[in-house]
Amino acid sequence: MKHRAESVAKVTVPIRALLNRFALLFLIIAAFAIMLLGKADTLVVERARSSVIDVVAPVMDALSRPIATVSEGVDRVNRFFSVYAENAQLREQNARLLEWQSAALALAAENSTFRKMLNFVPERGASFAAARVIGDSGGVFVRSVLINGGMVDGIQKGDAVVNGDGLIGRVAESGRRSGRVLLLSDLNSRIPVVGEKSRVRAILAGDNSPLPRLDFLPPNAGLNVGDRIVTSGHGGVFPAGLPIGRITSIGDSGIRVEPFADFYRLEYVRIITEFPGEVAGRIVPSAARPSRPK
Amino acid sequence: MIAAAVQRLDRSARQLAPFLTSVVLVMLSALPVYLPGYGQVAVDVGLMTVFYWAIYRPDLFPAIAAFVLGLWEDILVGSPIGLHALILLLANWAIVSQRTFFQGKSFAVIWCCFSLVALAAGLASWVIVCALNVTVMSPVPVLFQSVLTFGVFPFMAWFLARAQHAIIRPLDV
Repeated sequence: MKHRAESVAKVTVPIRALLNRFALLFLIIAAFAIMLLGKADTLVVERARSSVIDVVAPVMDALSRPIATVSEGVDRVNRFFSVYAENAQLREQNARLLEWQSAALALAAENSTFRKMLNFVPERGASFAAARVIGDSGGVFVRSVLINGGMVDGIQKGDAVVNGDGLIGRVAESGRRSGRVLLLSDLNSRIPVVGEKSRVRAILAGDNSPLPRLDFLPPNAGLNVGDRIVTSGHGGVFPAGLPIGRITSIGDSGIRVEPFADFYRLEYVRIITEFPGEVAGRIVPSAARPSRPK
Repeated sequence: MIAAAVQRLDRSARQLAPFLTSVVLVMLSALPVYLPGYGQVAVDVGLMTVFYWAIYRPDLFPAIAAFVLGLWEDILVGSPIGLHALILLLANWAIVSQRTFFQGKSFAVIWCCFSLVALAAGLASWVIVCALNVTVMSPVPVLFQSVLTFGVFPFMAWFLARAQHAIIRPLDV
């Protein structure tokens, strides 16, 4: 009996060792295969990602809250020390904004008279969904955040994401109750933009640096440092006129734009789920959109 | 009978502990921290845990665990899927194959070896991501990440040693 066990071991041990060795090889091949699949068939990978994230999103949501509270507390203490300077600055800004307000009111009145004269048909308003940022990082190679809103909230892949300062990016993956937002500084982000004053069209291309680049500009575009850049709305994916940022430098490394939004302090974001002039059925036919409580 | 079953369950839970702690730590590392610039160079928690367990308890952290942990990290962090799976797998294999070298070495030596592994992992992932996107990205954030990961490693190792002591030690007694 003992002899038999030994002879069995003599056969099985090398086979096991061989299997172990092949297991490593098999896993390495599997990793490469998954990587290529992620490059070739993004839809399958996106679905798989979204369904996993849907499961962990509630946990991450709960865990990220205390961190947000601590960060807010620290922020509050910091602000306490600059309260005097900030107050003076706000007074000045308030005075300036009051002037703008009267200008805006005058323009609004003027606009409405012109509209009446032209029998202008008013456009539908945009609708929004709000979500909290529950996952940050992105790591070295990606600039993205996780949010706790998904299809159930009417959020779809491709929707524009903004906060109070301006455009942040677009929804890259949308699960049932979670989603991933690709920031406009990401390597894969391409957004059609236009100079607010010059009306020169370009593509804002991220390259993982904090300052995305303007591409496909016509020669002698006449852009200057300090010009505001807004979405152009071309392609119908984004609404036109969302503020993005300001040109900071024009040089050898291209024209760089500094986004208005601070990507490091994203806590709540707004997703533009529908807007006037949207090209219906860009990702999913609009009839297939889940109905939202109004 | 029941006692035996509970004991077996307890044992397998303890055996899974290295993998499960790694899964939780990677998830914690994906939470937003609101620090300027941190998101760009966030430390690679997965690499640290894989390195630690490959040195101290390779029997409880097989190649498949490294692979699954890498996929988990890719999904949460949003990196190209399969990237961390490959890197962690290779790191695990490299360390396990050099086990005899690590036996009985002081922490300083292990820390130095970790710096090499972190640098190699950073460069390898940089090459892969550049190839996948067909562009040459700046390698500076990757180097920063490696340096930061290197700096944080002793704290992580201390924490994992505590976990090992508390959860896994009873297995050996």
